[in-house]
Amino acid sequence: MNFNIPIGPQHPALKEPISLRMTVEGEVIRDADLRLGYNHRGVEKLAEERNWTQNIYLTERICGICSHSHSTCYVQGVEKLMEIEPPKRGAYIRYLVSELERVHSHLLWLGVAGHEAGFDSFFMYTWRDREVVMDLLEMISGNRVHYAMNAVGGVRRDLDELQIKKILDGVKVLRERSEYYFKIGANEPTFVGRLAGVGYLSKEKAVSLCAVGPTARASGVTADVRRDDPHAVYDEVPFDVCTADTCDVLGRTVVRVKELLESYKICEFLLRNLPAGDIAAKAPKKAKPNEVVSRYEAPRGENIHYIKSNGTERPERLKVRAPTLANYPATIEMLKNGFIADIPLIFAAIDPCICCAERTVELVNARSGEETIVRFSDLRKLAGERFAKSPVKRNVAWPL
Amino acid sequence: MTDQERLDNLKAALGADILEITNPARRRFFVTVDRARIPAVLTTLRDKLGFTYVATISGVDAGAAYEILYHLAEPAQGNVNVRIKIPKDDPHVPSVTPVLPGAIYYERELQDMFGFVVDGLPDPRPLITPDDWPAGNFPLRKDWKFDRPAEIIPGGKK
Repeated sequence: MNFNIPIGPQHPALKEPISLRMTVEGEVIRDADLRLGYNHRGVEKLAEERNWTQNIYLTERICGICSHSHSTCYVQGVEKLMEIEPPKRGAYIRYLVSELERVHSHLLWLGVAGHEAGFDSFFMYTWRDREVVMDLLEMISGNRVHYAMNAVGGVRRDLDELQIKKILDGVKVLRERSEYYFKIGANEPTFVGRLAGVGYLSKEKAVSLCAVGPTARASGVTADVRRDDPHAVYDEVPFDVCTADTCDVLGRTVVRVKELLESYKICEFLLRNLPAGDIAAKAPKKAKPNEVVSRYEAPRGENIHYIKSNGTERPERLKVRAPTLANYPATIEMLKNGFIADIPLIFAAIDPCICCAERTVELVNARSGEETIVRFSDLRKLAGERFAKSPVKRNVAWPL
Repeated sequence: MTDQERLDNLKAALGADILEITNPARRRFFVTVDRARIPAVLTTLRDKLGFTYVATISGVDAGAAYEILYHLAEPAQGNVNVRIKIPKDDPHVPSVTPVLPGAIYYERELQDMFGFVVDGLPDPRPLITPDDWPAGNFPLRKDWKFDRPAEIIPGGKK
């Protein structure tokens, strides 16, 4: 018997509420279908009516987790259009904030993964540690979410010696905590067993479906814009691209834990080698008619902006592609042949909408049309029960 | 690999399909090709130069005509943006999803936002616009004007 399960579409706290309609056979998902646009805000159209500076603040508000990613991607494109370059110190501070943002996003994701897997202590640990980096970001920018650090031509706030020392101290604490996460798998075989084999995405599929970010890297694809398209400071900074070859949610967890340590390395490098000088160059009001493609590695994957100027103080066209959209075709592939109980975990694994929890799911009987409303929390309970009964996958080893 | 080598690779692979090719910035290439040749061009790029990754597809209302840019990327070959021009009175474009399966949502988005008709798209349903979106409204066209309809509250005051 086939069932159709619609998930979504509305949740006010999400940046992109989406509707997932799944065809299930028993507990196994056979097909999944996506519907977007429930919170389409027309940012691309809005951008055509705002000037270059106003658009920094508009693009920053595309996302609430990787807010700095969008504004950086936009600003580095506009700088190319205006033929200016940010001073070295400004660029270093800009990408320092980028890396701190990656740290807070990955810590947030690890917590969500722990929560969805039923390992709530891990969720509490990571979210407590995330406060350390949130405090650092607040100290640098004055804000916890929308940092408003970027200006066309540099950044808006400088760092002083005391702040640099505090960030280095904070990074040291975070590094110790993250090294503890490396050992967590050895102590918690149930956590590893819950994640292993869930949401399988083969390397071939990851390549052909154009997956990006940790989702692609967990399937063994070494795609990272910071290395593939070295922009700004990334050709000076030493770092490794982290991959995993298990192709499942376990791999996605491993990649993010490894990337945390790489980000600390980058932060320390940027702070220890912070050049003296100005933090911003003066930007003209208008940009000559031209076009530019700006790429940036956001915490969730590649972020790409196509910007076209027409000689005025407004863009002719601003096309934004956020990494989550690129990962949707891969998500459908991951859901296929998975279990209903794994939906929260698989869905959270691409880091799309952390607030999925407590959303209602409607189970529709395809034959009788009978509907039952299931809360997302019950679905998670179902997942817990299913895995309490199933044998722990004892042969699965924590790869770190 | 230098940009000149990348440029030579592109020219060798695409040959007569190239109507115009520029290299305005480091690792950035803009190639203009004919509209009908786009699936063939992307197949050639995929098979000969390894461009399996389409980052996104941008539609542009360039005044006299529409443009579509296929933003491809490959770590060694850089970022290639294949441009096609589409006359305003005939907004048909062949689908590239059979060549690059990751393009499906970008092509569906193009249909919704620009009103292009993507021929051969495996799943042409609307993706972004609501179910009750009035036909013939394509928000990213420059001549599109939006009049917000008066809000009717069921059971509310007339």
